[in-house]
Amino acid sequence: MIELQSLTFRYAGADRDALHDITLTIPDGAFLGIIGPAGAGKSTLAHAIGGIVPHAVHGDFYGAVRVNGLDTADTRLTDLSRIVGTVFQDVESQIISSVVEDELLYGLENFGVPREEIEERMTFALEEVGIAALRNRTIASLSGGQRQKVAIASLVALRPKILVLDEPTGELDPSSSRQIFSLLRTLNREYGMTVVVVEQKIMLLCEFAERLAVLNEGRIERLGEVREVLGDIAGLEAIGVNCPRSARFSSLLGEKTGQPVPVCVNADEAVEAARRVIG
Amino acid sequence: MNGLFQYVPGNSPLHRMNPVTKILLTLSVCIAAFLTDNLFVLLFLLVFDLMIGVAAGAARKAFSIFKGLFKVSLFLFVLQVLFIRRGNRLFWIVTDEGLLTAAAVVLRLLVVCLPLALILTVTQVSDIANAMVQVLHVPYAYAFTLTTAIRFIPQFMEEMGGIMESQTARGVEFDSKNVFKKLGMLFPLCAPLLISSVRRTGATATAAEVRGFNLRTRESGYKRYGFGLVDLAAVLISAALIVGAVLIP
Ligand SMILES: Nc1ncnc2c1ncn2[C@@H]1O[C@H](COP(=O)(O)OP(=O)(O)OP(=O)(O)O)[C@@H](O)[C@H]1O
Ligand SMILES: [Mg+2]
Repeated sequence: MIELQSLTFRYAGADRDALHDITLTIPDGAFLGIIGPAGAGKSTLAHAIGGIVPHAVHGDFYGAVRVNGLDTADTRLTDLSRIVGTVFQDVESQIISSVVEDELLYGLENFGVPREEIEERMTFALEEVGIAALRNRTIASLSGGQRQKVAIASLVALRPKILVLDEPTGELDPSSSRQIFSLLRTLNREYGMTVVVVEQKIMLLCEFAERLAVLNEGRIERLGEVREVLGDIAGLEAIGVNCPRSARFSSLLGEKTGQPVPVCVNADEAVEAARRVIG
Repeated sequence: MNGLFQYVPGNSPLHRMNPVTKILLTLSVCIAAFLTDNLFVLLFLLVFDLMIGVAAGAARKAFSIFKGLFKVSLFLFVLQVLFIRRGNRLFWIVTDEGLLTAAAVVLRLLVVCLPLALILTVTQVSDIANAMVQVLHVPYAYAFTLTTAIRFIPQFMEEMGGIMESQTARGVEFDSKNVFKKLGMLFPLCAPLLISSVRRTGATATAAEVRGFNLRTRESGYKRYGFGLVDLAAVLISAALIVGAVLIP
């Protein structure tokens, strides 16, 4: 379980809080999506869960963050990393090794994963992320999207209890993005991994996440089930969050016809809703 | 320049050799070159270097490194010949001792530089680092520094290229022939490049920490680096090189 209690964080030298009085509980096995405009504090929040804030980032930290009961401020970053794995937004600074295979090995070796298990975990991560063919390539020879997949695979191989991903599909094409989200769903459902993902592609997020948190100017503006949050299209657009077309469609449909129309998160649901209203 | 330190995959005996043995062989060549003053021994070492390049399947690379060093060597040679006035005068201000010393210096330079560049062609830096930690008990932090520095070379180049491209698009002429003008244009790029790499190194340090940097011990490595017959042969050759350099006057 992740508990944020009145968390406020201000970067050293900044003139306003990056996160302001955030209280949020994320239960075990949750699949939470975080969305918000640029500079809303999404990355800072992601880093606060993994303990990178405040351990590796200077600033004023108030309130408390607890993961699995451990207070992140009092726990060594190394010990926190056994529980929380973070995929950084900046892929370049995440990758340590020169070769794909070594990048996956790095964490596995350090955290003392038994030798017999290492090969199986590497193969699983490489295949599920779709980069089995890149195993022996040098990082320098990869494209941005391929590097992003390497970064994701290196954390998937570690199988942390909590996986935090900061815009993991920023450089990926639509079909790879979908593949990554399907993998996250598998990890969430079959391995019981808690998944927290910051994402700009709202369609994808709404389809896969169970709950949604909307962040704006360091505060949580909305929090709830995906459909619940999408119910207030006007409010979201005012903050600067682009809503999925299907949700905008269902809200308009309800407005124009005066009938109650459920929030639609994908095209199929929108078609179904339209049929019901017409028929 | 970019490809100079880059690993080229292969399956030659040199690729399969234990990284530590490769370091030993490289060092032996260097030590032999410094121990001897005999031009023929130096020439032999140079041929030996090139043969190693051929054996590693990197003949073309070895010769291109050789060619690249040639200009510098020529410059050094002329400089030495002009400055050394001892010995018997042959013509103008050139003496026999000057010529011999200059030749030795230049040969030594070539002999030493070639294997240092070649070792990175046949060995991945991570393997050098891992083997140094496992076999030679070098502290991991030092090995990590080495690998990270080398890992960042291509990225640094990439960024530099990116900045230059965007500046070229704005009308800055980087392809100017004038070296000073070119330096003048490159200089302002250094600050942003430096800042971004310092920031990046900080972030990479964090990335390493959250993946267990502090837990890594000598036994952590998954790959094991054994010693085989190739290694034995290389050790014997290394010994022979040094003994030869000492014994041949
Ligand atoms: N290292 C830093 N030093 C000072 N201020 C920072 C630093 N990093 C972020 N900030 C500020 O903190 C606020 C939140 O930044 P954060 O990176 O968390 O936003 P974000 O929601 O992830 O944005 P994006 O969508 O662009 O990634 C911003 O106002 C930003 O300018
Ligand atoms: Mg961000």
